[in-house]
Amino acid sequence: MSATRSPKVSERVAPKAADQQPKKKKRDDDDGPDFATLLRAWIESHRASLVDSLRRLGKQPIGSFFTCMVMAVALSLPMGLSLLLNNVERLGGSWQRAAQISLYLELSASPEQGESLREQIKGMPGVADAEYVGRDQALEEFQQQSGLGEALKELPENPLPGVVLVTPKEVDKPTLEALRQKLSELPKVQQAQLDLVWVERLAAILKLGDRFVFGLTVLLVSALLLVIGNTIRLHIENRRTEIEVIKLVGGTDSYVRRPFLYMGALYGFGAGVLSWGVLAFGLNWLNDAVVGLAGLYGSNFALAGVPVADGLSLLLGAVLLGYIGAWIAVARHLRELAPK
Amino acid sequence: MIRFEQVGKRYPNGHVGLHELSFRVRRGEFLFVTGHSGAGKSTLLRLLLAMERPTTGKLLLAGQDLGTISNAQIPYLRRQIGVVFQNHQLLFDRTVFNNIALPLQILGLSKPEIAKRVDSALERVALSDKTDLYPGDLSTGQQQRVGIARAIVHRPALLLADEPTGNLDPRLAAEIMGVFEDINRLGTSVLIASHDLALIARMRHRMLTLQRGRLIGDGEAGV
Repeated sequence: MSATRSPKVSERVAPKAADQQPKKKKRDDDDGPDFATLLRAWIESHRASLVDSLRRLGKQPIGSFFTCMVMAVALSLPMGLSLLLNNVERLGGSWQRAAQISLYLELSASPEQGESLREQIKGMPGVADAEYVGRDQALEEFQQQSGLGEALKELPENPLPGVVLVTPKEVDKPTLEALRQKLSELPKVQQAQLDLVWVERLAAILKLGDRFVFGLTVLLVSALLLVIGNTIRLHIENRRTEIEVIKLVGGTDSYVRRPFLYMGALYGFGAGVLSWGVLAFGLNWLNDAVVGLAGLYGSNFALAGVPVADGLSLLLGAVLLGYIGAWIAVARHLRELAPK
Repeated sequence: MIRFEQVGKRYPNGHVGLHELSFRVRRGEFLFVTGHSGAGKSTLLRLLLAMERPTTGKLLLAGQDLGTISNAQIPYLRRQIGVVFQNHQLLFDRTVFNNIALPLQILGLSKPEIAKRVDSALERVALSDKTDLYPGDLSTGQQQRVGIARAIVHRPALLLADEPTGNLDPRLAAEIMGVFEDINRLGTSVLIASHDLALIARMRHRMLTLQRGRLIGDGEAGV
């Protein structure tokens, strides 16, 4: 044995700054680093992992770009469909506002009574507007629209009643139904018809669309996690020796995991940015055709782009997915990475 | 420093790596473990590095029981140990400096402190002029010295070496052993697994001899 005094282990081992030992152990203030040193070391460790991950991604720019692109496509599909559905809902909403209650008057009701009724209804709460269509006007419009003009002229008398078209302020179904009931009880009103079937159908279609988007999102998020997991697994394979050495010289699991988590988050960030760009470009490209089509129907409807809040959510979600995918991949493979 | 008390290691396939091994290593001691291939030298080192757990007996390293140590504590145990491998285990995409700095980066030391300690370790293995080279640019002997510098840079209490001179010619082997003795003189316990009996005999340190997992000799080499 050497005669030289050997320092105690605690004197020899350098301060554990980046990864604190989990075992609760009272630390002597004299032999340990202060909080600021620990914090600096922790920040430095994260900075080094981030820079290292960026450097490794930068070394394979084409491979990294295509991985991000695959992820971006997986993100863009559900996000794009969701944005389209939002636009359809917006369009549906403008139609819904035009929902009307048709009051068919008795045949005996005179035009004066019809006008008087219109005035009365217009003053009622919950009514935005009311319009009277007299029997003659109704027949004229019907002749024009049905193409049965000559046949209708052969009828001995006008079979169509006068109509008051009521535009309600509220468009939710219970309110409309209550208003319809109230209007149907007015004198000279034979029938009050509320035609909300198309609104209900549209709502059902939108609900179906929402479910479809949700299902697609779940599927594509799973696919995205697999893509990230597989990419990170390849990075792990390429760095197996390095990981084994790191573990042998005292690297903790979190130290080993850290650069891969940054890598996953960076892939996610790249995918998020690309996806945002793809969606913005795609919606803009589609908008020309939509505006043209809407114009043919006399509408000035146009697709809304990607709202900034949605874009930021997309970016954050992508980063989180990348991080989670990397975490799952590293957790799965960490046990296999024990030094040989 | 190290206490083996009736330590045995049996692998799941039934192979017995070590049979009820008992010995002690004092702090600051220089020790060889020798024996033919399959004698149990590597198993012994793997147990000390907590890469394996003993199946019987008690193994204590710096007061910690390696049979019951938790997985989370293993990295912290390994920070008290330096390891030198026969195949060096260097990272060829990192410079000599960054290879040696790795244990210090794991400890989270500041950049100036890392630079200071790496320079000191390089000086100790006489490679101060190779800082920015890559391991691929170095000779086998120089690579081994880089491996040693990495093993001592964090000032471990115990240095383990597995056949560190296996690939070296006798002159380089003697040179490397000289480096280990220098490190030992500074207070680090050194345990070297080697089957180079001629080299061991020249150095006159304590030698454990293993045969088929059993301790068959414990005494000064060359006596």
